[in-house]
Amino acid sequence: MRSLRLVSVDPSDRGSQRLRLGPGLMSALGLRLGSPLLVPVPGGSCLCTAWPRSDLTEDFLQMDLKCFSPGLMSQVPSQLILDPSQLRPVPCPKLKAVSVTVLVQSPDFRRTSARVVHELVKELLKGVSVHQGFVVNLEDYETQIRYVVLDHLSPDSGGSGLITSKTSVEVSKVQTVRLYKSQLQDQQTPPLGGLEEVRTSLRDMLQLPLLYPNTLRSLGVSCPRGVLLIGPPGVGKTLLVQKVVQEVGAVLVVVRGPAIVGSRPGESEETLRAVFERAQSAAEEGPCVLFLDELDSLFPRRSGSSAPETRLVAQLLTLMDGMDRSDRFLIVGATNRADSLDPALRRPGRFDREVIIGAPTLQQRRSILSVLCQKMPVGPGLDLAELSQITAGYVGADLSALCREAAMNAVRENVKGSGHQQVDLKHFLEALKSVRPSCLRSSLGRTEIFPLLWEQIGGLEEVKLKLRQSIEWPLRHPEAFVRLGLSRPRGVLLYGPPGCAKTTLVRAAATSAGCAFLSISGAELYSPYVGDSEKALAQLFAQARACAPCILFLDEIDSLIGSRSNTQSPNGVQTRLLSVLLNEMDGIGLKTLERRGTEKILQAGGGEELHKQDELDLQEVCNKDVMVVAATNRPECLDSALLRPGRVDHIIYVPPPDLQARRSVLQVRTSSMPVDADVCLMELAAQTELYSGADLENLCKEAALLALLEENMEASSIKRSHFLRCLSKMSPSLSAQQIKAYLTPPR
Amino acid sequence: MSTPAVSCLREALRRSFVTLEKQRSVWRSVLAECSPLMDSLGNLAEQMSALSRVQLSDTPLRVFPELRERLRFKLLQAADSVLENMSCKMTGLQAVRDAISNQVSAILQLYEQNSDALDLLAVTERSATVPSVADMLEWLQDAERFYRQQFLQRKALLQTLRLDDLPLLESAPRRWKSLESPSSDQRIRDTLCKLSFFMESQ
Repeated sequence: MRSLRLVSVDPSDRGSQRLRLGPGLMSALGLRLGSPLLVPVPGGSCLCTAWPRSDLTEDFLQMDLKCFSPGLMSQVPSQLILDPSQLRPVPCPKLKAVSVTVLVQSPDFRRTSARVVHELVKELLKGVSVHQGFVVNLEDYETQIRYVVLDHLSPDSGGSGLITSKTSVEVSKVQTVRLYKSQLQDQQTPPLGGLEEVRTSLRDMLQLPLLYPNTLRSLGVSCPRGVLLIGPPGVGKTLLVQKVVQEVGAVLVVVRGPAIVGSRPGESEETLRAVFERAQSAAEEGPCVLFLDELDSLFPRRSGSSAPETRLVAQLLTLMDGMDRSDRFLIVGATNRADSLDPALRRPGRFDREVIIGAPTLQQRRSILSVLCQKMPVGPGLDLAELSQITAGYVGADLSALCREAAMNAVRENVKGSGHQQVDLKHFLEALKSVRPSCLRSSLGRTEIFPLLWEQIGGLEEVKLKLRQSIEWPLRHPEAFVRLGLSRPRGVLLYGPPGCAKTTLVRAAATSAGCAFLSISGAELYSPYVGDSEKALAQLFAQARACAPCILFLDEIDSLIGSRSNTQSPNGVQTRLLSVLLNEMDGIGLKTLERRGTEKILQAGGGEELHKQDELDLQEVCNKDVMVVAATNRPECLDSALLRPGRVDHIIYVPPPDLQARRSVLQVRTSSMPVDADVCLMELAAQTELYSGADLENLCKEAALLALLEENMEASSIKRSHFLRCLSKMSPSLSAQQIKAYLTPPR
Repeated sequence: MSTPAVSCLREALRRSFVTLEKQRSVWRSVLAECSPLMDSLGNLAEQMSALSRVQLSDTPLRVFPELRERLRFKLLQAADSVLENMSCKMTGLQAVRDAISNQVSAILQLYEQNSDALDLLAVTERSATVPSVADMLEWLQDAERFYRQQFLQRKALLQTLRLDDLPLLESAPRRWKSLESPSSDQRIRDTLCKLSFFMESQ
């Protein structure tokens, strides 16, 4: 038999429960006029009565949805191709009794007109073929009764039956359509990763008053009514509320900012009152959550002027105070700028509890990723722990964008022709390049560093080792650090004469550490407004902490920050910046708004085998801070408070290159140049006493230019004579006296 | 090809359509009697709300004792009698609906009894003057559904009215009018026109 195309229903058939099909198919299936049929469609099935099409054509189906399974309530099938063998005739004997749940449109009707419901429902259902557990759509009657759910049929013969005028109808429950739909959605959403603690506390708050109303009453306490969710954008505040509401089976009343604000004076307040009334009437049926998203935009801090927002804030305050203990609904607000809220909102009795959701920690990222990757065909080589380590600073929204991008990469590759469809680590790594963490999106000092390996820096072996100790080791071997009770250094200062590869060393360190890297210069920090620079620096630290582990690089720190002792103006910008820096590096604690996850304190397991899970824990404990790396060539200008241990733990002297170092610098520099065989690098190194790394680089360049000058652009190699002649013209940039000054340690 | 079963069914259908035509005119006449009643109900509601608004002590009428309560009682009594009248009319409408419903269920029963003798070809066979049995059954069902829906909507409207909810009462005549569905009524008239040859052929 040919497949059938489902087209939309004829208007005159609406409410008739007819399934229009060709007469040929009807006789093939052995159907009479009005025989009941069960039609399976994606998402459910529906019960119809067969009827020939008036144009008598085959190949098309027109179905009036009157009685269908609950899953089809929200999504109506259309434009389907059905196989004729799927249509199943069912016997529909006359029913003796049915028990039903009635779904009405408005809660008002539910309250006032309960007495007429029974009579109406009996009339409405007459002549309808029904199926156990299905929903009957009565919208075409345009009464307040919208749907009827068939809870139980008797006699129960195969689940279907016909309601006649002799069938007795029992109304077991009257609900609003909205509540039924929200309960229906319960089972369909994916779990939420990484927000278990917050979710549990929110759930308790919703469920406790419902489960144990008497206990609370006997204790004489009122349950909390307001929760304020605070967190950076993209951590899943809105999703969390929706999820919890679905789990508890509560009704969600959402307030969207623009929908409330009206143009006329007083209109916004009126809308807000209407929203509260809606929540109140919904709360009479069951638990209800009133969700105010983006609270800060609607209810900002009241200022002196009579802005319309002031009145709106006042209205919200009165409404929240006016709530009775009997009002069983919870107000949840969400914001990412808690500071700009009106302080009157944040007292007990209004928003009782404040829940802070920070940027996800390592563990949380891992669980978010595992939720996200559940539905994707992930390759066997993908290690989620590793992936969560390299996604420092990514919030939930970023991670889902990352997964999407990775999947897109995999699809693109698949289109090119390599057979299997699997998302591997390489797809994720590629996606990481295009999806950047949103914590850092508007941050100062985000820099793209050109990768540089340790081997590309000649000499300075001791300095390199020290840097690796303080930057790389805590990331690579957290278990060893915890075992010995070590903590990661807060700050590292590199000092030494100019041109001796301090900045280059930091570049190499950032490359090898593989964590977020922020570099800041005076251009970004200084501003003509008083207090602006300090705020920018504090914000920079906050952002860096949000995506810890993170390296913050302050180049030329002497000019950026300065010292308190030897400046002319004691209240200059530099002094104020210094105080901010001191506080941020080793202050009294963090701001409450920056809390992330729960505090974990771990004891080292003595020598026993550590599992992967523990290792992640260690990683998290060990690397939750920002490391400041500073570089200067005038260490004596720095403030002594900055240089004490606890702030700058390691002070590393980067010396001018010695003989061996100079040779290796020259080797690194000339490796890409065609150097004649008679050039002896050792000899050159011996002759370049007091030359810095930058000087040596310059020497190589000059020699090459000289070669070009002499041989008219046709030089194929650089000879020893070129080097020597350049050397005779140059003088070292360092002096012995200068170097001697560096040798006295700054601390 | 006209088997005895088909001709029997056609005869029954013809009778049903004649009944439908008759009942339709009854329905319309009852409905026409209803609308002045609804208007007067709306009027009474308006009077009641006016009464609740007015400050009788500021008017010369303050000399009459308990005027407000008396007036209110009068109005309520009048509204009651209107509603009683309406329920009489509703029984008239219900009679129409029941007559049509009975016709339809009887004819469907007849079809069920004869369904073994009626294959789909016979049911869907039509000519210029005689529509097919399936079509006619469908039209009858549609008409029955229309009257059932109309009756239910009007009944629901009357049942949700309460004498203490004045705004609802005031809007009742307007909502009563809005329930009229001229397009569906037109469709039934068209159907009857289409069937006029069939109904006249004896």
